[in-house]
Amino acid sequence: MGAVDIGGGRQHGKKGKRKKMRRIGVRLDMTPLVDIAFLLLTFFMLTTTFSLPQVMEIVLPPSETKSEVTESSLMLLRLMENGTIFWNMGTESPRALEPNTLRAFLKERINTNPNMITLVKVDRKSKYSTMVKIIDELHLANITRYSLAPLLEPDKKIVEEAAGKG
Amino acid sequence: MPKFKKKRVGISLDMTPLVDIAFLLLTFFMLTTKFKPQEEAQIILPESHSKYKIPESDVMTITFGPDGKLYLGLDSQQLRAQLFGDQNKLKPSIPISLEELTALAQQARGANPKLRAVIRGDKDSMYGPAEDVMNALQKASIARFELVTELDRKD
Repeated sequence: MGAVDIGGGRQHGKKGKRKKMRRIGVRLDMTPLVDIAFLLLTFFMLTTTFSLPQVMEIVLPPSETKSEVTESSLMLLRLMENGTIFWNMGTESPRALEPNTLRAFLKERINTNPNMITLVKVDRKSKYSTMVKIIDELHLANITRYSLAPLLEPDKKIVEEAAGKG
Repeated sequence: MPKFKKKRVGISLDMTPLVDIAFLLLTFFMLTTKFKPQEEAQIILPESHSKYKIPESDVMTITFGPDGKLYLGLDSQQLRAQLFGDQNKLKPSIPISLEELTALAQQARGANPKLRAVIRGDKDSMYGPAEDVMNALQKASIARFELVTELDRKD
């Protein structure tokens, strides 16, 4: 087992006689090959079994409960249809936010006000991946108190006005 | 008939036990590996930095593709038979409409209170279907979702 015999050994007897099994010849040792093959096989078997997809958890406050939030500690993030993000605290007018500065921005916000509650308003026509990215950044900045809300027509108007002014 | 004598030169290692064990392991893993169930819709997952893995059991998967079509999948065959009927119990997930989702989620939750809602959305899909799904689940008093993502290796 594990070795291969290749024909071409000594000839036994004359031509007319019954052929004998040729045992001696080139012997190829297959041991290392078989070893490595099975090692790899077991490795791949083990790794494929444990490859589970990863998940990002979202816990939303139940829709019936109304929580009172002071305006000064409420941050609004508005995700527009074209993927731009606008932010404001309380009743301030919204300002545009660079998507690649989001992480640093959120960290700074939560450090200045640890009681901050974030409300993310997402346009129905914006991309799902952008929303996932925002939630991911919130998790990375350790912001656990957030909620999701739909972006309505008044929100769009407020943002348009603010963008027009700025 | 001249007797042929086998000549063995050098050490010859009997590999039979090794190969036996190897095949034993092979069969074990082949039998225990769960193959990924076939998907109705091809989904490209969005990326995140989350390190949590999907729970192995008690999972209810709601899938939506880039076209906004919804699919509901359950991991237990028993529950699938109960909710979708016997003819559908072998399918990992079935297409459903948004209106059916709340009732089905409630039924599933009633049958198995440990059930967790997992949302698999396509990266290029709009946010609309995700919002609808979350609203429908909230109506079924499920406020905790898991979004399936892929590890973001860029930063």
